[in-house]
Amino acid sequence: MLIRLKGGRIYDPANGANGTVRDIYIRDGRIVADPGDSARPDQDYDVSGKVVMAGAIDMHTHIGGGKVNIARALLPEDHRADLLARTELTRACCGHAAPSTLATGYRYAEMGYTACFEPALLPTNARQAHMEMGDVPIVDKGGYALLGNDDLLLSLMREGADQKLINDYVAWTLDVTQCIGIKVVNPGGINAFKFNARKLDLDETSPRYGITPRAILLTLAQAIEDLGVPHPLHVHGCNLGVPGNVDTTLETISGIEGLPMHLTHIQFHSYGTEGDRKFSSGAARIAEAINRNPNISADVGQILFGQTVTASGDNMSQHRNRKFASPNKWVVMDIECDAGCGVVPFRYRDQNFVNALQWAIGLEIFLSVDDPWRIFLTTDHPNGAPFTTYPHLIRLLMDKTFRNEQLARLNPDAAAASTLGSITREYTLNEMAIMTRAGPAKILGLADRGHLGIGAGADITVYTDHEDREAMFRTPDYVFKDGELVAKDGRIVKVTLGATHVVKPAYDRGIEDRLRPFFARYRSTRLENFAIDEEELCECGSSRLTVHQCRHARVA
Amino acid sequence: MSQVVLTLRASPAIVVDCSPLTPDRLAGKSAATIAAIELQSGNRRLPAGDLFDITGESGDTLVIRNACNKLDRIGAGMNGGTLEVEGDVGAFLGAGLVSGTIRVSGGAGAFAATGMVAGTLHVRGNVGDFLGAAIAGDKQGMLGGLVVVDGDAGDRVGDHLRRGIILVGGNAGDYCASRMLAGTIAVRGRVGALPGYAMKRGTLLLAGAAELPTTFNDCGTHELMFLRLFARHLAGVDAAAASFAPHGERVRRFVGDRANGGLGEILITV
Repeated sequence: MLIRLKGGRIYDPANGANGTVRDIYIRDGRIVADPGDSARPDQDYDVSGKVVMAGAIDMHTHIGGGKVNIARALLPEDHRADLLARTELTRACCGHAAPSTLATGYRYAEMGYTACFEPALLPTNARQAHMEMGDVPIVDKGGYALLGNDDLLLSLMREGADQKLINDYVAWTLDVTQCIGIKVVNPGGINAFKFNARKLDLDETSPRYGITPRAILLTLAQAIEDLGVPHPLHVHGCNLGVPGNVDTTLETISGIEGLPMHLTHIQFHSYGTEGDRKFSSGAARIAEAINRNPNISADVGQILFGQTVTASGDNMSQHRNRKFASPNKWVVMDIECDAGCGVVPFRYRDQNFVNALQWAIGLEIFLSVDDPWRIFLTTDHPNGAPFTTYPHLIRLLMDKTFRNEQLARLNPDAAAASTLGSITREYTLNEMAIMTRAGPAKILGLADRGHLGIGAGADITVYTDHEDREAMFRTPDYVFKDGELVAKDGRIVKVTLGATHVVKPAYDRGIEDRLRPFFARYRSTRLENFAIDEEELCECGSSRLTVHQCRHARVA
Repeated sequence: MSQVVLTLRASPAIVVDCSPLTPDRLAGKSAATIAAIELQSGNRRLPAGDLFDITGESGDTLVIRNACNKLDRIGAGMNGGTLEVEGDVGAFLGAGLVSGTIRVSGGAGAFAATGMVAGTLHVRGNVGDFLGAAIAGDKQGMLGGLVVVDGDAGDRVGDHLRRGIILVGGNAGDYCASRMLAGTIAVRGRVGALPGYAMKRGTLLLAGAAELPTTFNDCGTHELMFLRLFARHLAGVDAAAASFAPHGERVRRFVGDRANGGLGEILITV
């Protein structure tokens, strides 16, 4: 079947289209070249004057895995207060801060998102996480496997194991857990928490293994580089949320020695200690460091005001934050000695100095990083705010007047402590297309997503160019997923299954001989049962496994 | 005084959410408009006119006649006016009641008065479990107001109770006043096992002997000024409440639940 989108203004930064008017043709789920006058489209959409972009990609959103389920179980009131009745097409679902799998898929698709990446997939929880993500309809999914606090890696490092062996372990983890990248959360800190450490700085040795977070980051970043995995090491650094952590973050940037590194929810890692309240913005220094270091990329983790829930693998930080739980209930737990988990409900208040300044810091970072290819739009859903706030966030970035109006409503001390009011930058549609489409696709190595070139998967979102960017980005006119119209005027019209994106770097299978006894002795699952295969993934809701190319493996 | 009378024709097969039918929400509406209001019943929505005969003209009083235990959420979120129910009602009676008075001639199901903020709820028959208790996930049960039950109450009366007064004329079940945060519960009959379990603060007033958890400390007998004030307060409400006024001010006081550092009190009249 041939589909034509006629006369739209194309924003396709990966192919250099910035508002170019042209037709787009779709056949069998892919974008194809103009088939000429002889071919008559079976479906013709007149999108003249409308804004056409690739489907948006959320490269850091907590949509699956143990902690999301714990958040759901902890917050039944979140579900009671936000109910969606079933329709002919969609099933009944619910949830605002911790939406159900169905609500997650429907709402993402309704906003024009076509791919979401779960950033904290514990290898030991991988099966459950994939099953849960399989239950998220329409959008494509992928996960970043968590390493860096697991006893196996830390013991290998303590023994002084060869980097090659560690590379095999990293590649094996990616392979058997069906992930597209590696994330490290509070490197070494989650493990140290179990041995009664309540903080672990970049150069502090952990109590059990005597290894510094810096060494863990370097080892894993080197592994990613050696294996040619496209997505840089995805780093949730030390000292999340601690005033003064801007110095830690800057040292982390310099400490990675030029290797590619992605710093996630960097807003939470950009705090200074100036001012009467000993809490200030480190956004300018962070933005300058990102601008200066082309190996660094970051997503912001913007906070927006209202009720949400913070769900993180960083049990050290979450244990510290537990006293701010609102409502007053929280969970901090270990997960099979593989990683940790902390769930703390939280309400960000605009009259609270700290929260208001956090809001401003996030926006300062967005607006001070020059290269939109290396900064990504996230709220670290649901930690900064639920993903449904994205259109509001986009308006804040694209509309200076609106932003300053919001700033004027905040805690006045926080507003005065921020440089936000003096920043005049407004994101353009092209930059927004980079930040939410082309950029994430590039940094994840998704060759056929995030752009509208010939051969790309037909994930396409069509918007009406509305002056109110929030309204524009909340209800796209059309959303196509793999060439099928899934949402129209912000309502689901077809429910499909999304694919799972993975990478499969080459490695020596001999690593399993090393892992087998460890699994037999310490893990709840035997090695033979640990790996997830393609068939299993597809049985639990994934439409297919999409394997992305690794860069040619470097010779050691 | 004008009033609307809704008479249930027959007991529905599936429970019906009656929360749209409160005097404040029906104020100024004609019988035809009321008949068109849709009520959720299982996975369907039914017009109120399919279930009820509607007479009278709207005012600040609503009467529901021939009620049965399939009618859930009666008076839920009601804000003002008087709701008179003749017959039994289902679960969540008066949930989140903001203000006004609800009187039920029969009995009520589980979770009556949960999340109630203020106002008065009077049930002449028995109520089910979780009277004035928190629903799953909520940190607080009833938040204020007065509940009078002439009959018996089920288990977990006032679980997580935050504020307000619950008076039970008959017996109360197990775990009465469990995890209570504040407020007052008085039971004229007997209570079941483990009253005051994990209680933090607040007062449970019992008329007769009870088997308390071992983690309550016996603080001896006292004459408490509180009881005189409490009696005066109840006398000022209405006759039903006044009948709960404790005779005399002498009580034996137990403090707990010390198992979780609680400083709640169980007062047993002597």
